[in-house]
Amino acid sequence: MRSSWIIGSAMLALVVFQACEKNEAPVAVPTLTEKTVSGIPADTIVGLVNGQPVGAGKFTFFSFESNAVVPSTDSNSVKWDVGVRGTAIITNGGNSGPGVGGAFVYVGTFDDLKAVPKDSVFRQDNAPVSYAVPNASSKGWYVYNPVSMLITPIPGRVLVFKTAKGKYAKVEIINYYKGGITPSATATDAEKLKNQRYYTFRFAYQADGTMNFK
Amino acid sequence: MRILLQTLFLLMTTAAFAQQGNDSSRTSLDEVVVTATRTPRSMGNVAIPVAVISSKTLYQSGSLRLNDILAEQTGIQVIDNFGKGIQVQGLSSEYTLILIDGEPLIGRTAGVLDLSKVTVKNIRKIEIVKGPSSSLYGSEAMGGVINIITDRAGQNKTDLGLRYGRFNTVDGNLNFSRRFNKTDIAASLNYNQSKGYSLKPNAVQKTVEPFRRSTQNLSIHQQLGEHWKAGASFRANSSHIDNTIFVQNLGSTIASKGFEKNQENNFTPYLQFNREQKIKSTLRGYLTGFNAVQELAVKNATGGYDDRFKQLFARVENQTDWQMTANAAFTAGAGIVRETVRSNRYDSASTLRMNTIAYFFTQHEQKISAKLTMIGGLRFDANQAYASVWSPKIALQYKAAEKLKLNLSYGRGFKAPDFRQLYLNFTNLAAGAYSVFGSEVAVGEIKRLSAAQLLDQTTALVGSLSALKPEVSGGLNAGLVYTMNASSQFTANIFRNDLKNMIVTDVIAFKKNGGQIYSYFNLNRALTQGIELGAQQKIGQWIQLNAGYQFLYAADKEVLQSIKNGEVFQRSLTNGQAYRMSLSDYGGLPNRSRHSANLKFNAENTKGYFSTIRLIYRSRWGTSDLDGNGLINRSDEYAKGNLQVNTSMGFPVNTHWKFMAGVDNLFNYKDIQFLPGNPGRTAYIDIQFIF
Repeated sequence: MRSSWIIGSAMLALVVFQACEKNEAPVAVPTLTEKTVSGIPADTIVGLVNGQPVGAGKFTFFSFESNAVVPSTDSNSVKWDVGVRGTAIITNGGNSGPGVGGAFVYVGTFDDLKAVPKDSVFRQDNAPVSYAVPNASSKGWYVYNPVSMLITPIPGRVLVFKTAKGKYAKVEIINYYKGGITPSATATDAEKLKNQRYYTFRFAYQADGTMNFK
Repeated sequence: MRILLQTLFLLMTTAAFAQQGNDSSRTSLDEVVVTATRTPRSMGNVAIPVAVISSKTLYQSGSLRLNDILAEQTGIQVIDNFGKGIQVQGLSSEYTLILIDGEPLIGRTAGVLDLSKVTVKNIRKIEIVKGPSSSLYGSEAMGGVINIITDRAGQNKTDLGLRYGRFNTVDGNLNFSRRFNKTDIAASLNYNQSKGYSLKPNAVQKTVEPFRRSTQNLSIHQQLGEHWKAGASFRANSSHIDNTIFVQNLGSTIASKGFEKNQENNFTPYLQFNREQKIKSTLRGYLTGFNAVQELAVKNATGGYDDRFKQLFARVENQTDWQMTANAAFTAGAGIVRETVRSNRYDSASTLRMNTIAYFFTQHEQKISAKLTMIGGLRFDANQAYASVWSPKIALQYKAAEKLKLNLSYGRGFKAPDFRQLYLNFTNLAAGAYSVFGSEVAVGEIKRLSAAQLLDQTTALVGSLSALKPEVSGGLNAGLVYTMNASSQFTANIFRNDLKNMIVTDVIAFKKNGGQIYSYFNLNRALTQGIELGAQQKIGQWIQLNAGYQFLYAADKEVLQSIKNGEVFQRSLTNGQAYRMSLSDYGGLPNRSRHSANLKFNAENTKGYFSTIRLIYRSRWGTSDLDGNGLINRSDEYAKGNLQVNTSMGFPVNTHWKFMAGVDNLFNYKDIQFLPGNPGRTAYIDIQFIF
């Protein structure tokens, strides 16, 4: 009885205190945005060269801050944070762009990662030798099945990004195929090729420059 | 429900059809078995799980090939992957030893021994021993041993059989057995063919290609004086499968045509000394060769595919059985095996790979009291190509009451690394340019690629490349046999197998062109455990009922540990988001059904009119990963469970002619994606002429 009275008064005091604060300063704008994006093309297949499927060879650039695709004419700017071409993912940093970006792969769920750990090391792109997000089956974000020839994002892999401007974002890639639907293992090769290289992912972007995702 | 009703109807007609019955497909505990202890013992007196399939059951079930009849046995699954292999106690085909008259069959592809190459038309009985028996048989006897015992020589009978079924399936068979003075002879010929089938309508490529197979057997046994006997068996087995393969590549179709040919020849001479009830000593030789060729030519183009694999297995062995006293029997044996392989799957077809194995084994059987019997065994295998292994086994039988027997056994099993794991040198230029190198050649190949500047980087695993060790298991079986009365019997067995040093492939390096390089390592640990139940019941005068059930849990121990550590995730089917996996989400090893069961009705009267209905159930099983964690966990990663109903009936027309007909898969269950080897409903007729 007594303890609940204490808690009750404490809560009341808190409300009053916050209310006073509200009167003095404007409401803080929430700085964390969380979105799911789909249908981001990543150098989709345009034809065959020597029997090997190829795209146009261009990256698609994306900005977490504006939640939009950035035209490739801005590739040499800090307007973009991440670029995708096939399974390759680049960051705006290292030898990929003029920004201060980097990334690493966190093992755990998207919701597990409530803040970027203090001792995190952001890897940088050193194309074409290595990328901040390793581009190989089972090494980074995806696994390739040589029998079904399908790419599947590994569950429990969160890509943690430092953006071009030095802010933080986390990304969970959900699917690699058009409409967010992986073709069945028995689908034709043509169908698998036609529908691949379309990213569906969800991200959280912290605009206040802190490492928190709360 | 509809299936059940129709089944019941069938059963009623069966009952009406067979007026007076006699004993039919019922296994008696007095049946003499040889596989469990390598000595003839009545089935009720061996302390390990044994099952027997009689020739009568084989005939009445309308089985043609070994996989047909094994698919109907409790605790056995036939898995269609590189041929029809079997799974016993949850262990896959590579961990099961298949013997013909006590000698091992060779010719495995990717570890799987295709059982459809074995005809059952000249078989007297099949013995199935479950749990490890490496203490007697050495490598591969981990999950179980299946021993096919062919027709006895010297029976003075000849029969001719002909069968015709759907898909132009023809099976012709001639069995001959005669005694000439002191010489016993048995001979058999079998021819089997089918034109294959397509499960998908309008498909350009058949699901099962046309094939033809033939088997010839001859065995001669000669009595030499009072105690000596000598003999030899020859067996030749061949198969030819048409290959027409269409590869779709972005709309353009590449057709290749060719064939697959397998030839297997065995020769088994022996000399035996036998002093009734006291001492028996047999010197046996076994020479077997397996030769597989696959040739494919691409239409309107050069190149193609050419695969050659030639395996030779030669063995000399002595086994001596000594009945010391009425309560003690001792067996000892030793032998030498030499195995060679030539294949262009390794470096070139001209390079000979070989292994020599020397081994000995002993077994002692002691009746400790009127109720308690103990069997202990030990085998040692010394190998040239990999580490040596000791395989002990101990089994106890306690006759708790006149009707109740309790059995307990523990044994170690092993499987030697095969030639593929040791010497494979394979680079797939089509799919990602990946390479697989056997453990014995990997270091050399890495050095060669590195010197040629083709290597990007090596992984930490490259440092742990070393000589492969055999995969080993420990198997525990605890069971009971309860005989209520002459017409009902109940059996139960709990089993657990712990496997370690399991050989898996892992990445050792990356090539500059992005291709991965794999080699073999003794890495994984797994477990299989479960319970098997069986019941036999005679109903009225003519119906025999057999029921069986197996519960199975099979898991990778490394995965179980990772799940407990919270390091394993799965992706939701609804929102695509990843979440942490729990132990109950884990579906275990692929291809394992948690529940499997069978129910068999068999009716037969004194005139030989018979009818059978066999219900075979298998619950869902994991197929392949779809959500990227490499494991079976999501509901869409399973194949559907199913019930298959087979039925047959037959009667003797007169003393010479026997007629039977049957329908397999009566309700036409099909699964195009996960059961391509199941063609749906298949009807057949079968005529036998007895001279």
